[in-house]
Parts: sequence; structure tokens; C-alpha cells
Amino acid sequence: MSDKLLEIKDLHAGVEDKEILKGLSLSIGKGEVHVILGPNGSGKSTLMNVIMGHPKYEVTGGSLDFEGESIKELPTFERARRGLFLSFQTPEEIPGITLGTMIRTSMQAVSGKKVKLLPFRKELKARLEELKMKPEYAERYLNVGFSGGEKKRAEILQLLMLNPKLALLDETDSGLDVDAVQIVSEGVAKFHNDENSCIIITHNTRILEKLKVDRVHVLMNGKIVEEGGPELVDEINRRGFTHILDAQEQK
Amino acid sequence: MAEKKKTYIEDIERTLYDIRNEDHSLYKSKSGLTEEVVLDISKRKHDPQWMTDFRLKSLAIYNQMALPTWGPDISSLNMDEIVTYVQPDAKMAGSWKDVPTDIKDTFDRLGIPDAEQKSLSGVGAQYDSEVVYHSLQQNMADQGVIYTDMETAIREHEDIVKEYFMTLIPPKDHKFAALHGAVWSGGSFVYVPENVHVDIPLQSYFRLNAAGAGQFEHTLIIVEPGASLHFIEGCSAPKYNVTNLHAGAVELFVKEGARLRYSTIENWSRNMMNLNTKRALVEKDGIMEWVSGSFGSHVSCLYPCTILHGEHARCEFTGVTFAAKGQDLDTGASVIHAAPHTSANINTRTISKDGGKATYRSAVKVTKNAPYAQCSVNCESLMLDNASRSDTLPTMDVEGDEANIGHEAKIGRISDEAIFYLTSRGIEEKEARAMIVRGFVEPIAKELPLEYAVEMNNLVNIELEGTMG
Amino acid sequence: MATANTAKEIFSEIPMRTWRWLGVNEVRMPENVAGTLQSDHLTVEAGKSDEVVYVNRQGGAQELTIDVADGAKMHLVNVQLAPSDAGYTSRITANVGKGATFSYTVVEAGARHTASELTVNLNGDDSIADIWGFYFGDGARKVDLNYIIRQRGKRTDANMQVRGALLGGSEKIFRGTLDFLEGAKGSVGRENEEVILLSDKVRNRSVPIMLSHEDDVDGHHAVSIGKMDEAKLFYLMSRGLDKADAQRLVVEAAFNPVIDRIPDEALRGEIDAYLKERLAD
Repeated sequence: MSDKLLEIKDLHAGVEDKEILKGLSLSIGKGEVHVILGPNGSGKSTLMNVIMGHPKYEVTGGSLDFEGESIKELPTFERARRGLFLSFQTPEEIPGITLGTMIRTSMQAVSGKKVKLLPFRKELKARLEELKMKPEYAERYLNVGFSGGEKKRAEILQLLMLNPKLALLDETDSGLDVDAVQIVSEGVAKFHNDENSCIIITHNTRILEKLKVDRVHVLMNGKIVEEGGPELVDEINRRGFTHILDAQEQK
Repeated sequence: MAEKKKTYIEDIERTLYDIRNEDHSLYKSKSGLTEEVVLDISKRKHDPQWMTDFRLKSLAIYNQMALPTWGPDISSLNMDEIVTYVQPDAKMAGSWKDVPTDIKDTFDRLGIPDAEQKSLSGVGAQYDSEVVYHSLQQNMADQGVIYTDMETAIREHEDIVKEYFMTLIPPKDHKFAALHGAVWSGGSFVYVPENVHVDIPLQSYFRLNAAGAGQFEHTLIIVEPGASLHFIEGCSAPKYNVTNLHAGAVELFVKEGARLRYSTIENWSRNMMNLNTKRALVEKDGIMEWVSGSFGSHVSCLYPCTILHGEHARCEFTGVTFAAKGQDLDTGASVIHAAPHTSANINTRTISKDGGKATYRSAVKVTKNAPYAQCSVNCESLMLDNASRSDTLPTMDVEGDEANIGHEAKIGRISDEAIFYLTSRGIEEKEARAMIVRGFVEPIAKELPLEYAVEMNNLVNIELEGTMG
Repeated sequence: MATANTAKEIFSEIPMRTWRWLGVNEVRMPENVAGTLQSDHLTVEAGKSDEVVYVNRQGGAQELTIDVADGAKMHLVNVQLAPSDAGYTSRITANVGKGATFSYTVVEAGARHTASELTVNLNGDDSIADIWGFYFGDGARKVDLNYIIRQRGKRTDANMQVRGALLGGSEKIFRGTLDFLEGAKGSVGRENEEVILLSDKVRNRSVPIMLSHEDDVDGHHAVSIGKMDEAKLFYLMSRGLDKADAQRLVVEAAFNPVIDRIPDEALRGEIDAYLKERLAD
């Protein structure tokens, strides 16, 4: 048994007849934080959706293993129950279901156990406070009428409550002001420990300040084209993606 | 419209609603509608002369009137085959002990005596054409509240009944109002005196057990100035392979500064033609609130109408309709603004699935006498598959310029993205869909008393069972 | 049809009937529809685009059928400024092919009684209907409209934007239908009507209809009926405009998005002057 949590090999996936991921490989160990960088349209969000099993995307080749087992054929809810969590770039608005009910329902679904109401409420209240969200948010319909920043905080709230093994954070910091980025990054830092892992898509280095980044991957045109340590983030920020592209072409 | 089927009874498990009793009726009128039948009903019910005359006049109007030229297909209804009066073998009782066992068992299964204990201040129970049980808490009676069956009301409060009966829904209103005027039987009468607040709801439950029969109960509620009432109406029937007809009438009088909430969960079996008429007249500063859930029946035409007759009168209408296989549910509301500064809110949700047809139909009328009228309408329709149909047909008619009327409607399906979001949180797809449907009707469910919200959720779950995932 | 003059005759019907007392099920035939029927058939060939402008200044009956072939584009402008004693009928049917666009800009501002029917059949996949209308009622004018968009192809896109102003003792009925037929997967429909009421003698009836046989659609309609926005009026009056001027400006603001689509500048000027004159009365 390796300490590999997620192992992706030569993954091909796309929508209808358009291939978006063109032989992507990626390996995430337990307790690690990985960052994925890449220009718009390179396939970053597709990768997150494919890992989570979005039915819109068809996987046409390669392997996708979680804790040594293939999850390629598993429905989305099963992947969540194995310990995957996706923080959405644009979280869905679902009228009629409160944020609190949503979280409790999914905690029960993921754990397979009944979640007792009173301890749940207590924990939820504490987590809301940590994220500087008013307690009444628990009673509001999921993301309905939430601002961009509130939606992102509600995602982090779910992350903290569900405590998954692998968190996929898809531009969790985009569209947030400085204070909100601070709150969200503290939330992610609070979640992360030696037992769980994160894959973070971001354009912003600030969210990474509170985390120790283990690996950075550059995704372009559906493939990982460059990998390195945390220093790669600064380099990309300084020089952009074009030089990597040029280097690619020379190869 | 060509694909409409004749009466088609969907074979889903509706559990306790479907348990039918043997027909032990004491008396049944001949099927069909003749002067002889009407006179016979009138005689058996010991009507006063004015009521007998009223019935005959209504019959004459019925015979002259044509069927409506719009709405669902009701051609499978043959009045010659409908038994208009079925007298159960039971006398009106004031104690459940005195109700015959099979009838009492039915209401037990429907949870009526239980709810009476827990959360109601009075109960009426109608079985086929007659009310078999009625109760009212003593403290309510002491304050002058009257809650009884219509027959007793005619005997004991004839002057009040005579003043109001079918003045709001006159027999010439439409063919089924005329039919109702001719053969009505049973129903509830409520009178709340000035400034009395009936804090705990009253409930009437209507059960139609006999096959091929009609139920024509009449509900008359008068809420005097400054008084308030919450009235709950429930209805169900077991399924048969013949057409049953429900053509009740509900007349509500909300006086100055009074408030009435009228909640209905309708779950007729799928051989029922539900052609019901409900109307409220609201005086100055009065408030009328409708909460309406339509789940059952083969065909429904139901559009509670509110006439805002006094200044600053208000109306809130909240409705949900769920049309499944073999159902054509044409529901909605109408509001007539007839006085200055009147306001109304209409908020509805409709769901259709498995070839069911749901229509939202409404009318908002602002007369010349109603400057500063305000009305806002919001209706949303959810289609669960493309075998189903969902239509929205509102009409707004505004005279004058001092009005502010807004209408908004949406039709669509459950988005794949919403499903993915929920499944990514570990929820199975089937449950995710059910959650979204429950969320869709939640704005309506939260207007219902808790037990009814639970019942509505159960009905939604029964409907969703087996069709999803 | 052009010579039929009996008041009781029905010009066209609503796609789904409702209560008779509302009086909206049938579009009545106007009396005194003079002259001969102007009947045209327009075709835009595949991949081509065309723009056609009709102006009616005398009333009478108009009938148009339009075929917009696959990938073609048609913009039809129809401006009706008939004299106040004239009757006017218009019946337009457009069939729109695959990937084709039918744009329609209509001004119904004249005639004593206008009966106008528009049917757009979005037959082809990815076809588009973009309808912008403005009606104007004053005096004893009657405006009776029945616009229908049938969405048959996959991923069709319908947009119906109608604005209107009612003055004097005018009366108007607008019926606007979005009809999603079975198989119209991925289609979107938007319908919006805004009515400004400017006199206590007007009568406005609005019937927005949405019919759906297909679940994979996104349909939305909205209607707003009311007086002019008091806050807007106050703002304008605080800038020195008198009430009539301020009202005129607000009404112009409502019809400008429609008028601006008319390519002919002289015609735009004519409509503008026509409406200004009427608003000034």
C-alpha cells in the first residue's frame, strides 16, 4: 500500500466529440497540498469535474484511482462518500433547501450515520463564526441571494463540516476581496492536516500563504507541461505562461 | 389536445387513501339528474320550502347552461351515470363512539381523530353525501362560534344561511355551480362572531367512498368584523374504475378587519372529476389567505376567487399542483380588485411528470373602482420529463391608471448542474432530485400547518417513488 | 378576409382559451377595413440576409408570409401609422429554418382598431426569433394583438419584447405566446411586456401564455402594468421639466429601444414626430 491518495494516469476526457484532457497524469500523496496553474481554457475546471465524476464529461482513456482503487466508474455521490470534495467555482443556487439542512443531509450521506441535531447545530454555529458568517445563514436557502463571497464561504463551511480526505478547490478565491480571501484561506488552512490532501486551482498566491505547498503543476492544453516546487508559483506570476509554452515547442 | 385519454386510472400505491369500504349506504338516489331526483333529495333532507325551490331553480339553470368552452376535457363525465346523493348508514354524531366502525376506521386511518386531539379546535367529517361527525371545543362554543354541518345550520340558523347561501356563487355562475345548487348535500358551516379569534384551526374532511357517486358539499364561512379563523379542508377517495364527481362550493365572507386562512390538501383518487368552486368576499382591511395543494383527481378545475370588496382588503394565494400520469390538473386563482388600495399576492408552483398535464390559469381584474390596486403574481413550473405538459395562462385586465400589476412565470426542468452539486456532496441522484422537488414546493409547504406539510412531503415522495433514478 | 366587415367576425384566436368573461379568447375583426388586401410572400434564400420595411399610412388589410431559409437572416420592419378613423388588420407568418434568424420590429401606433397577428415558426434547429414591438393607444383607439412563437427545432431562441403606452380612452389586448413543442430540446424563450398607463379611462388586458410539451427548455415571461414611475417623473421635474414633458420623455425612453432598430433615419424621425404630436395632445 502506497501513501498515494489520488493517482491519475494518462487521463483522456471531454464533452461530446471534443477532447479536453489529453493524457494527463497526476499523483497526490496523503497530507499533500498541490496547486494547479494554467491559462484559461487549459482544462483545469474540467479536471476537477472529471475527478468528481460530472456526467457531462466522458472519460475516454487512462486511469483514475483513489486510495488504490479505481473510481472511474463510480457515480458522483459514491466518490463523495469515499472522501472527495469539490468546492465549486460557481456554486449552485438551490431554492427551498437551507444551507443547514444541506450540510446535515450530506454529512449523513457521507458518513452513513445519523447526525444528531444538537451537536450538529453547535458545531455549525462555531464553524459559521470562524468564517465570519452570521448564524442565520444556516437557515437561508442554499446560495440563493448570496453574494459571490458568501457563496465561497458557504463552500468552505461545507468543507470544514464534511472533513473529506481530498479537497478539490476550484478557484475558491476568485472574485473575493482581500478580507474574504483571508477568511477563506484561513478556513482551508484549518481544514488541512497530515491526514488529508488538497488540490487547489488558483490565480492568486494569497490563498497559498497559510499553506505549505508541496507540488505545483502547470496545465496547458489538457496536459501537465511543467511541474515543480512552490517556487514555480512565483515564477509563473512573474513571467506568465508563454515561456513554458515556448519551452514546450522547443521540445 | 387530440391525445387525451378517457378516464384512466393510474395504478400507483396511494396506500391508506385507497382503502375502500363496502358500500353500506342507507339510501342512494337514482343515477342521473331529473326533477324527480332533486325533489327526492330535498325531501330526504327535510329542506325548508325555500331550499326546495332553490334546488329546482338551479336545476332549470343547469339544464339551460352549456359546458365551458375552455379547460380540460371532461367528456368522460356522464351525468346520467352519476349518483348524486348517497346517504351513509350513520346519523350525525358528536362522539366518534357513535360513528359506525367501518366509517370511523376510515377516518382513523386518515388520522382525523388523532389530529383532533392534538391540534384542532373542531372537526367535521363527511362520508359520501352526509356529515357523520362534528365537534367543537367548548370554549369556542362559549364565545359564540358556530361550527356544524350545513343541514343543522339550516335548521338552527336558517336566517344566516338564507342571507348568504349561494349569493357569492350563484347557480347561474357556471354549469357546475347550477348542478351544485340543485343537489348539494353536507359540508360545513362556520360562524365566527365579532372580534373572536379561533386560534387553533378547525378542520373538515370529505371522504367519498361510493363508486360512481358525486359529492356536492357546501361550505359557508362567515368571519365577522375583527375576528379570525384558520380553516382546513381535506379530501380523499379510494379509486374506482368509474368516474366520480366532486362539485363542491365554498363561500367565504371576510368582514371588516377580519382574517381567514383557508388551507386545502386535496388528494382525490384518479377517477375523480374535481370541478370545485371556491370564492371569498373580503371587506375593508380584511385579509384572505388561501393555501392550496392539488395532488389527486383525474381532472381538476380549481381557481379560488377572491373579491377584494373593501378598501385595503388583501389576499394571499399560495398553491402547489402536482400532475402525474393520467392527470389533467387545471388550477390557479383569480382576484378581483373592486375597491381602492386593495392588494394581492399570488404565488404558485406546479410540477408535471409521467405524461401529467398541469395548467396554471389565473385572472387578475382591476375595476374602475379600484385605484391604487397592487398585485404581484409569481408562478413557477417544473417538468420532470418531456412526456408531460405544463402550460401557463394568466390574464390581467386593468381599468384606469392607478394600478401596479406585476406578473412573472418560469417553466423549466431540474438542472443537471444542481444534481451534480448535490451528488458531489454524497447524496444519491434519486434523493438529490427529490430534495430539489421538495425545495421547489417548500415556499408553499412552509405555509401549511406542520402535519399537513409532512403529509404534502409524503405525497411528493409517493409521486416521486419509482419514477426517478 | 379583406372585405369582411362584420364586427362579430373573428380575426384570430388565442392558442389556449380561457374564461369568456375576460374577453381575450378572440381577436375581433375591425370594422371598415378599406381597400384591397395587400398580400406578399417574402423569401430569404439560404445563407443570405435581407431587410424589408413596410409602412402603412392608410389602414386596410395586410397579409405576409415569410420563409427564412437555413442560415439566412431576415429583419422585417412594420410600421403602422394609419389615420385615426381607419381599420387595420395584419397577419404575418414567418417560417424560420435551421440556424436562421427572423427579427421583427413593429410599431402599432395608428388606426381606430388594429387587429394584428404574428406567428413565428422556429422550425429549424438553432433558429432565432427576435421580436420587438411598440404599441401606442390614445383617444378611442383599440389595439388587439396576438403574437405567437412556436419553438419546434432544437436549441431555438425566442425573444419577445413588447412595450406600450395607453392614453385617453384607449383599449388594448396583448396576447403573447411562447409555445415549446415536444422535441424543442435546449430551447430558450423570453417574453416581456411593459405597459405604461397614462389615463384613468384606459383599459389594458395582458395575456402572456407559455405552453410547454418539452422539459428541456428554459421559459420565462413577465408583465408589468402600471403608471409611470413616480421617482423618475420627480427626478425629471426637479430638473425643470413640466409634467407633460417629463411624461413624454419617459414614454420615449420606453419606445426608443424599438424605434432604434429601424434602419431608415427619415422613418425614425417620422415616427418620433408622430408620437410626440400625439403625446402633446
